[in-house]
Amino acid sequence: MTYPLTEAQSAIAQHAHEFADGYLEPIAIELDRGLLFPKALIGQLAADKFLGLVLPEQSGVAGAGFISHIELVQALSQSCAGVASIVNTHALFAYALAHWGSEAQKAKYLPALAKDEKLGSIAIMENGPVPGLGAAALFAKRVAGGYQLDGVKTFVRNAGAADVYLVLATIRSADDGNGLTGFIVESGASGLTVGPRLETMGLRACPVAHLTFSKVFVAEAEVMGTENCGSVIATQLLSVSSVAEAAQTVGIARAAVRNAAEYGGHRVQFRHPIARLQAVQTLLAEIATDAHMAWLGVRHAARLIEEEAPFEPEAAMVKAFAGRFGAKMLIDAVQIEGGMGISEVTPKHVSGSYPLARMFRDMAGTTLLDAPGDFPDGIIAANVA
Amino acid sequence: MISPAQREIQQAAKDFVAKNIIPRAAEFDRSGEFHGYILDAARPSNIFAMAVPKEYGGLGYSPLTQALVLEEWGYGCAAMGTTLSASILSMEAVMIAGNDEQKRRFFKPMLSAGIGCFALTEPAAGSDAGAGEATAVRNGDDYILNGPKCWITNGGEASVFVIFAATDPAKGVKGISAFIVERGQQGLIMGDREEKLGLRSSNTVFFLLKDARVPATNLLGKEGDGMKIAMQTLDLARPSIGALAVGLAQRCLDECVKHLNERFPEKTYPGQTLQFKLADMQIQIEGAREAQHHTMALREAGLPFSRESAIAKTLCTDVAMSVASAAMRLIGSHAFTSEFGKFMRDAKVMQIYEGTNQIQRLVIARSVLARPKAAVSVAKKAGAK
Repeated sequence: MTYPLTEAQSAIAQHAHEFADGYLEPIAIELDRGLLFPKALIGQLAADKFLGLVLPEQSGVAGAGFISHIELVQALSQSCAGVASIVNTHALFAYALAHWGSEAQKAKYLPALAKDEKLGSIAIMENGPVPGLGAAALFAKRVAGGYQLDGVKTFVRNAGAADVYLVLATIRSADDGNGLTGFIVESGASGLTVGPRLETMGLRACPVAHLTFSKVFVAEAEVMGTENCGSVIATQLLSVSSVAEAAQTVGIARAAVRNAAEYGGHRVQFRHPIARLQAVQTLLAEIATDAHMAWLGVRHAARLIEEEAPFEPEAAMVKAFAGRFGAKMLIDAVQIEGGMGISEVTPKHVSGSYPLARMFRDMAGTTLLDAPGDFPDGIIAANVA
Repeated sequence: MISPAQREIQQAAKDFVAKNIIPRAAEFDRSGEFHGYILDAARPSNIFAMAVPKEYGGLGYSPLTQALVLEEWGYGCAAMGTTLSASILSMEAVMIAGNDEQKRRFFKPMLSAGIGCFALTEPAAGSDAGAGEATAVRNGDDYILNGPKCWITNGGEASVFVIFAATDPAKGVKGISAFIVERGQQGLIMGDREEKLGLRSSNTVFFLLKDARVPATNLLGKEGDGMKIAMQTLDLARPSIGALAVGLAQRCLDECVKHLNERFPEKTYPGQTLQFKLADMQIQIEGAREAQHHTMALREAGLPFSRESAIAKTLCTDVAMSVASAAMRLIGSHAFTSEFGKFMRDAKVMQIYEGTNQIQRLVIARSVLARPKAAVSVAKKAGAK
């Protein structure tokens, strides 16, 4: 089964690589410091029509589809996975809106999402007493004309930078248990506070923080889908996110193995470039192989998503694979470069560019900053028959 | 087995680490500044002289006792542990080849928490340790040293150095000699500290020797002994890295358990997937610790331990990497946004320094493939080629 890209998809992929080389590569080190949100860069991404790839074709937005989106994510991740993470988070909000948003909500937000007028984010995770999805840490109660939200959402990406969040909150009910509901909350909502930026190990271009809600009013019209359909939205979004993040894993791994191969090609020890050593070839081959297999899985799952076919088991496998091999890929790539591999700043006495330390940290983030560790296994096991 | 006296020393190290190291490790990891305060804190206990024989005023701890202390330091902060173990590494070289006067001189700073460094690596000589270009030319009662040294642990903070340079470059590795050099040596030009991925507050520098005039009385052993001294020294020191790594791995596991208890206070047992992961971590740690103690026991018994030393370094640091990585995955978002990332970054560096784990594997494979001479001749008689 091969999946050749269409001409349009190829053009987007090509353009994405050029964008990454031209705009991201030169500032990747700066972005890694994580001091400033790359606002101008997001504008640039919008101008190049990269922010609306997963949106439906309406109101003049791109509508290229999920396959194009993962090509973009993979390309951006080769230069700066943190920016890929910003785009991914934004795209998840866009995806949710496209699938569960009302016509009025779509009309209100879709064009703005594609044009960088609004940056999106999703707030799913919580630190409540019950782990995982549906944890009871943010509650919604009905009030006149809408709902009032009180509580905390944790580890929210694009926090502080986003203009609009999809927030999942629990509505307590004595009769039929507690249900999760999705709400669209604008960043300026009264009572919404973005906590201090968390000190993240990698993906530092993308801010992560906790959100605190104190009597935040949300109008009836801002409910996404219907009341209590939030857990379906959350599960699906995490699934979609798995695939996009696996694309991120592949992008980082490809850039890393290329850098390690280049290094091995000119680093002479024992009178020859170390890339001639069998053991080094094996390390390079294993990374390249893992990245290739992961990419096949990503492409397959992305096609299912684009065709609106069932995709959860495939997405879960992609997540499980990327999680298991993502870390190994970077651990091995760094090993090839030795001292250069562990350098955060290339030592003065050497020339060349050695970004593996940053990639190592970015990879950790890509495979960690999301669903619980055993999230994919249960889904996969349930679908083995 | 560990004696009651050793238990006491181990407990004292635990207490010291809990009081002085753990509370400040993250702060120095963040800044990357050298953790000089720990030398002051350790001065009363004389722990920086634990490897110095009693006749020279040190504590004269046995290799296993030293390993017990180093494991505790690795548990608290592998970067601080590295400062201690790298200093011991330099002392081992003097212990092997130094005369009485040299030992007295070299060990003196350690008696007041001074540290030493071991300078073998050069830009062109990493894994291929014999490919260095540093030279030492005899001139009257002195040697004139020239050449670059890089990735030198403790280099910027050390009171005493063991530096390797070729006295007879035509002889290759057999022309390398070892010298004691003291801080403030004219012609020793110190570079900036390197910004590393892990072990960040352990001092790593590049330095240049430019017509550094060193008295001939500072030559360790004879001219041409250098590589032999270096290899024997590394054999002695590698299990110490193993001890630090075991401590780091144990810390990761303990932090996982602590996190689970805090997050799920009512739950006695997590799911099986988690239980198995925790069990696997403990299996790896226990195996690594035993391998490392076994090496120390061989050394103390005066038996060959070169192969076991390479095994201990490789196994323990690979286990540290694997356990740190698994722990990060288990804890997820919280690990990515806390000081937890330090463990993973520190472990990565440990797989590389003091001989990459690839070089260790070459050493181990050589011993695996080496057939006893008798067996070879018997095989030849039997018609084998």
